[in-house]
Amino acid sequence: MAIRRRMARFWGRLVNFVRLPWYRRLSQSQLLLTGALLGIGLATVYSAIASDLRKQLISATLGLLVYVAAAFLDPKRLLRATTGLYIACLLLLLFVRVHGHSALGSQRWISLGGFQVEPSEISKLMLVIVLAKHLGQPGRVGLRRVVTACALAAPPMLLILAQPDLGTAIVFGCVLGGLLFVAGAPRLQLAALGAAAVAAIPMAPHFLHAYQRQRLEIFLDPSKDPLGAGYNLLQARIAIGSGGVFGAGWLHGLQGSLGYVPERATDFVFAVFAEQFGLIGCIVLLTLYALLLLSLLRSAAIAPDPFTKLLVCGVALMIFAQVVENIGMNIGILPITGIPLPFVSYGGSALVTQLAGLGLVQGLMLRRRLVVHSALRSDEYLLKLTA
Amino acid sequence: MIELGRWVDLGGLEPRARWSARLLAFAVLVLAAVVVLAGRLFQLQVEDGRHLAALAQLSRVHKVVLHAQRGIIYDRHGQQLVINRPAWTLEIVPYMLPVAEGQRSAELSWVAHVAGKSPADLQKQVDKSDGLTPIVVQRDLPDQQAEVLTERLPQLPGISLQQVPVRNYLDSTLLSHVLGYTGPIDGEQYAKLASQGYQPDESLGRAGVEQSLETVLRGKDGWANTVFDAQGQPVKVLKSQPAVNGDNVYLSLDLGLEKASDQYLQAEIKKVKVAAGAVVVADPRDGEILALDSYPGYDTNLFTKGISNAQYKQLLNDPGHPLYDHAVQGEYPPGSTFKMITASAGLQEGVITAGSSLNCPLGMTFGGWYYRNWAGYDMGFMNVDYAIAVSCDTFFYQVANMLGPDRLAKYASAYGYGTAPGIELPNVSAGLAPTPAWKSSICSGPPTSWQCTWSLGETITYGIGQSDILTTPLIQSMYISAIANGGDLLRPTLVHEVDTASGTAVSTAKADVVRHVPVSPDNLNTVRQGMHECMDNPHGTGYWFRLAKFLYDGGCKTGTAEFGSGANQPTHAWFTFFSPFKNPQVVIIVLVEGGGEGDQVAEPVALQIAQYYYAHQAQIQGGVVK
Repeated sequence: MAIRRRMARFWGRLVNFVRLPWYRRLSQSQLLLTGALLGIGLATVYSAIASDLRKQLISATLGLLVYVAAAFLDPKRLLRATTGLYIACLLLLLFVRVHGHSALGSQRWISLGGFQVEPSEISKLMLVIVLAKHLGQPGRVGLRRVVTACALAAPPMLLILAQPDLGTAIVFGCVLGGLLFVAGAPRLQLAALGAAAVAAIPMAPHFLHAYQRQRLEIFLDPSKDPLGAGYNLLQARIAIGSGGVFGAGWLHGLQGSLGYVPERATDFVFAVFAEQFGLIGCIVLLTLYALLLLSLLRSAAIAPDPFTKLLVCGVALMIFAQVVENIGMNIGILPITGIPLPFVSYGGSALVTQLAGLGLVQGLMLRRRLVVHSALRSDEYLLKLTA
Repeated sequence: MIELGRWVDLGGLEPRARWSARLLAFAVLVLAAVVVLAGRLFQLQVEDGRHLAALAQLSRVHKVVLHAQRGIIYDRHGQQLVINRPAWTLEIVPYMLPVAEGQRSAELSWVAHVAGKSPADLQKQVDKSDGLTPIVVQRDLPDQQAEVLTERLPQLPGISLQQVPVRNYLDSTLLSHVLGYTGPIDGEQYAKLASQGYQPDESLGRAGVEQSLETVLRGKDGWANTVFDAQGQPVKVLKSQPAVNGDNVYLSLDLGLEKASDQYLQAEIKKVKVAAGAVVVADPRDGEILALDSYPGYDTNLFTKGISNAQYKQLLNDPGHPLYDHAVQGEYPPGSTFKMITASAGLQEGVITAGSSLNCPLGMTFGGWYYRNWAGYDMGFMNVDYAIAVSCDTFFYQVANMLGPDRLAKYASAYGYGTAPGIELPNVSAGLAPTPAWKSSICSGPPTSWQCTWSLGETITYGIGQSDILTTPLIQSMYISAIANGGDLLRPTLVHEVDTASGTAVSTAKADVVRHVPVSPDNLNTVRQGMHECMDNPHGTGYWFRLAKFLYDGGCKTGTAEFGSGANQPTHAWFTFFSPFKNPQVVIIVLVEGGGEGDQVAEPVALQIAQYYYAHQAQIQGGVVK
């Protein structure tokens, strides 16, 4: 009896003694939020360019199938397949360099049966999985692991920079830094990495193509070229601002529908959204994103092992970085990069990747597991059980 | 028990949430980011919201000018003389050109090639512009080119084809002096007229009725606040004010009569191998001009498009001076047609009476100089009406001698010499009724020289319409009309009626009496009788009319005016005519510049015109057919 009580007290620190059926184990909030964001996204794409809705619906359906498939995926299998995924992604990125289609000055896409596939989007999720596995191995995250993590992230990042796709490279950087942070890398090393990144900023223009440099310049002073590159920025801001508090109403956003906002279904779809739904709509959207992210973080908090936790954090970082960068560039506080707004921007690869990531999270949530390790730290799920 | 690294399935038990510090930090970051973004959105949408919405409106909505149609000009019966033909203007809107340098220059060079201009010029124009105002590349594109451009227009951002109405003149050469033409407004005119709403690229009347009736014909442009999409295509009209089309003008001309007059005049001019002439046909009851012809004319449609230097030079060098309106601007000595003025003056001043009999020898001496009659024989004694009929020079030398230049000038002025007639045309010549005072005021040389002092010879020849007297065919028509209608000098008018674009009459022509000639009815009758004899008396210089079986009665006077100097001087051939004799309806003036004898050259033309008139009298006098 005493042993049982001791066991219960011991286990009680780690688990809630509640048995939940599978549909209660799912993160319902994440499902709802994903559904809501997807719905808003489809409505916004339709209001921007009506003809894009069809392809986006197909992508969404595909994405939901992938979501379900990812939820059923055995994490052990995923762990085993990581190396293969990594190599496959590198090959895809190389293939894009050789055979890819260009748009807006960068070579990003491969055509597969009528659909444009963007390997850089897929490689975001791939990076998350790879880094999660690497950093989630047992043991302290020390200098060696930090360095090898950076080394793992470097090749795809460089390939993407060479496309050139500055935005995705920045997301890669955020994911890398964020995962190192959450995984527990020493503060000093993180600070050093951060300093290196900051020091690289002035050097960066030399590695940028002319149009990317121009974008930075225009960002710093949009009035420099109001009829040219600064035009995008100004038009987006004008569209957002003209939405006011309540917005013009769905399908009544004139700046968007008349084509004054450039890239209105992709990069600047937020401006189209903001014009129609106003400040209130924007706050609602931001809240939805925030709630999704917080829900993901809670999932990370109850993640049974480091790999899961890092995977969930990685997905959250992916979404977070893209949301901040895209909305930031729409409202003019960040330079323009070609980052899509998750769930909203027209683009099949990004949508499917995000849904795949969320599906993986759900899958991991469905299987409540504890990994048995030996360690004494409280922020790892350590269970020292002796016989 | 449980091994290291092994998965343990909790079987549905939910782990407790363990928030590490770093995870919490991440959560805080998420919230902070949301706050920052929301803050900036607040700034954009609430603080700057109205301003940005206004900017949005500004970029979307533009005021489009709705061009008013220029009024149509018809003849007195409603025959259209001018059409507003739609023409295509090629424009570039610089701020809508593609931003990428390669695409931009490719587009500009293609457009330049289509328009037939050099790409470098076009590029310069684009660079110089302020970016917002459209640049006109070419006006009046041929239809084929317009079609080619229209097809490719969706792929050419920044290029637009505007449809603008262009004046197209039917019978452009015949009516060139009456109608004139429209052309682009030039710099100084624009400076003056901008306040009246003229655009810098607008056309306005540059000659003829187009110029003098500009305010009537022009109409008022409307506007439409239109919403445009980012491609520059109009989407919706918000508010608009329709254009008010210009008023339509019904000229007093009869197109058939004008054509016929020109035909007869042209034939005669070619026959005697001279270069120019003019015809005026007027109605002496109200001053309406039924035909106003100056030969040669020019093609006004050349000017509307933009005449080439070579063509313009050709017009300038043509010996007939086609750009010059001989009927209204050409100043000539009246010759013997002046004699009715001399007669009026003589009768009214009392130096002669209706019954006075003066000799008409073949020559007379005045002040030491010998002045001849045109006839190489003595005509004997005659009174004034016979003198007019046979056009005796020596008779009128005597009358002029008795009157003196000032009195002659007074009557000449009364009959309209020296004042520009108030016809609706620009640059109308005034003619001249010279006086000694006038001569000394304009002379160049010492006051006592022959250039500055009036000589007796000038008075003598004044009487027969030579020396410094000048008249225009139009002034002649006024003067003969005054004689015909009993003494009212009427303002000649080309405008029969003005209607608004929808058809309501704005104004109709009325007789406008400038003055009543200071000649008593009896004296005037004597003069008229003289003109009657001209036609009916076998010795009259107009008797050819009877020989040609002209059935109607009326009055006439020939003129053979010497000009220039030297032996074998050329002469202008004049013929003046009115009919019927009682209650005249028509006055015909014919001038053949340098044509020779009035009765041989100008008279046949007038006869043909008079016959045409009577053949179509009812039609011509008929009103507007709308």
